[in-house]
Amino acid sequence: MMRFVYSLPLAALFALIGAGCAEEKKPDANAAKPAMSTQAAATPSAAAKPEDPAAKYKGQTLQLLTWEGYADPKFTKGFEEKYGVTIKFTYFGSSDELVAKLKSSPGVYDIISPSSDVAYTLVQGGLVDPIDTSKISSFADLAPELTKLDDVKKDGKLYGIPFTWGPDYLIYDANVVKEEPKSWKVFFDAKYKGKVSLWDDISNIYLIGQVQGLDKTNQAALYNMTDEQLAEAKKKLVELKPQVRKYWATAGELNDLFKNKEIALAVGWPLTVGTLNKEGLNLKGVIPEEGATGWIDRLMITSSSKSKELALMYLDYVTTPKAQALVFDATGGYCVANAKAKEHMSDELKKSPCVTEGDTYFKKLNFWQYVKDRKKYNELWNEIKSAK
Amino acid sequence: MSTASVARVDTPKERKPRRWALYFLVLPPVLWLFCFLILPYLGLFGQSFLQSDDLGNVIVKPTLDPWKTFFTKELYRNTLLYTFEVAAKVMTLSVCLSVPLAYFIAFKMQRGKQLLYTLIIVPLWVSYIVRAYAWKIILGREGILNSALQWAHLTDAPVDAFLYSEWAMIIGLVHIYTPFVLMPVYTAFEAIPRPLIEASKDLGAGRITTFRRVVLPLAFPGIIAGATFAFVLTLGDFLAPVLLGGTSNLMISNIVQNLFGTSNDRPLGSVVGIIMLVVVVLLLEVTARAEKSYASLDSGSGRFGGAR
Repeated sequence: MMRFVYSLPLAALFALIGAGCAEEKKPDANAAKPAMSTQAAATPSAAAKPEDPAAKYKGQTLQLLTWEGYADPKFTKGFEEKYGVTIKFTYFGSSDELVAKLKSSPGVYDIISPSSDVAYTLVQGGLVDPIDTSKISSFADLAPELTKLDDVKKDGKLYGIPFTWGPDYLIYDANVVKEEPKSWKVFFDAKYKGKVSLWDDISNIYLIGQVQGLDKTNQAALYNMTDEQLAEAKKKLVELKPQVRKYWATAGELNDLFKNKEIALAVGWPLTVGTLNKEGLNLKGVIPEEGATGWIDRLMITSSSKSKELALMYLDYVTTPKAQALVFDATGGYCVANAKAKEHMSDELKKSPCVTEGDTYFKKLNFWQYVKDRKKYNELWNEIKSAK
Repeated sequence: MSTASVARVDTPKERKPRRWALYFLVLPPVLWLFCFLILPYLGLFGQSFLQSDDLGNVIVKPTLDPWKTFFTKELYRNTLLYTFEVAAKVMTLSVCLSVPLAYFIAFKMQRGKQLLYTLIIVPLWVSYIVRAYAWKIILGREGILNSALQWAHLTDAPVDAFLYSEWAMIIGLVHIYTPFVLMPVYTAFEAIPRPLIEASKDLGAGRITTFRRVVLPLAFPGIIAGATFAFVLTLGDFLAPVLLGGTSNLMISNIVQNLFGTSNDRPLGSVVGIIMLVVVVLLLEVTARAEKSYASLDSGSGRFGGAR
């Protein structure tokens, strides 16, 4: 009896967690989960008909496994119509979920959109295929700051095409913080005690490293900190705790914290500023003098895909200026990899920070890299959270 | 026991239930428990002696490292102790709320007993998240409590200390788990034969003495059962720290979630899981014994067996 009663609320809890996670990102209510579709049988080599590229793929299906919003019909429709194919998609909520899904169902997904923290692991683990960049017509237009990065290269081959990117920058409520903060040290300002929010993530360790100038000469230093540096970062982050109101877990939670005036300063994404200012708040985002860390989401073709040729054509399509402008619109302003997308944007969209300040961002951002000792970073972050 | 008696009803002529009938009735639950309880735990136990790589793949290479990590790192021990502390607080508060309330419903209410009882149970049908968010709205900086305090001129500025603190977390948990405590306590009070109370009064005991020496001891098994619910459920909670807790209220289940969901360190996660399981089983065993030793009315064998 006891065990039965005990298991009921637990089961309910687990159901709730699912619901809790689902609410975090942008709503896309009609984006139903796709059924595991049967791949249309087609051997690319046998069906080669160079005279009509569109007909060749007619009726095929492409399976995307992406962050929420990265398979929005706003931009996938163009591809579907051009080739007469169907794009199905599954969303994942965290990098780790992506890895788990990919590993547990080989052959199901054709294209994935990992962030830079797991990209290296996927490449080294052989879960993705190299990409023939000569088939990507807009490759030369993609920001060189993104394509030059080594983390998705192996044996001189590129494994991921940059899709979107953005900073983890300092967001402040301009109604409370009157002067634009110049440095991340504003978090330690006694004036803002209990008014700061950090992301509940190991990226805070990178941030502290950056504040201490560890990445001045070598960007990778933040992701390969020594034991002493980690101990120092822990000390600083524990010191910061009285200033911190809450570690936010989802973008939605950060929005609530700002909306309810619980906080005035935070680490966050441009999405938050865009969303909340539309609701009448006066938030501003800034990259302080020490710089900020940034993320890149790339598109990759899985090594277990059965439609690699079609997947490559999708990559070609979705990086064109026009499609990238649609991506920019659909995601609510994530920076896109192709700068020429600007030409296809509405005047209002052209005013968003990614477009106007894109170059500054690149200069000041230290893009996330693979952390060799991710477990140690995670454990350290738990120790910081459990420190009294 | 019950299965045996069911079988007996079917074949009243026989002294013993038919073997095959017994097997037939017992097999499904046993299979179910084996497949979905025993096997997973065995898997977890086995996994706790293995290693994992960066992709989260478990490598079959025996090691004691995960166990060593658990027992040598302060993080895990301290978090476990802190979780016990929170669970004890939640348990104490829930019991202190439930006992008077259950007593009132069981003994003092004439009409509307069922209604009141139902009102207390109804929140169980409201989702956990909704209730946690309700507390956010009440305790927040611009929440109901702060607005009321400012309106009454008790404070001039919003008090930040309510939400995102250990107490916010404990209040939320007490609210959520009190019905679980109330149910067994109320049932225990209801089961006390009224003549015993009258007898106590006839023998000259006052209200307080009667409660202390007759009612409370007889209801003790129910109180222990309820307290166990609150304690064990709190031990496994990881949402309250995330939703209502502050920056220093990490509980052991948050670490489990992190080990499985973020760090991809399944062996270490399994170790924590197994330890939690052992702790809970031990707790249940101890409280079951305590319940038995206090349960007296029927068997006459318990501590208060002299009641007859």
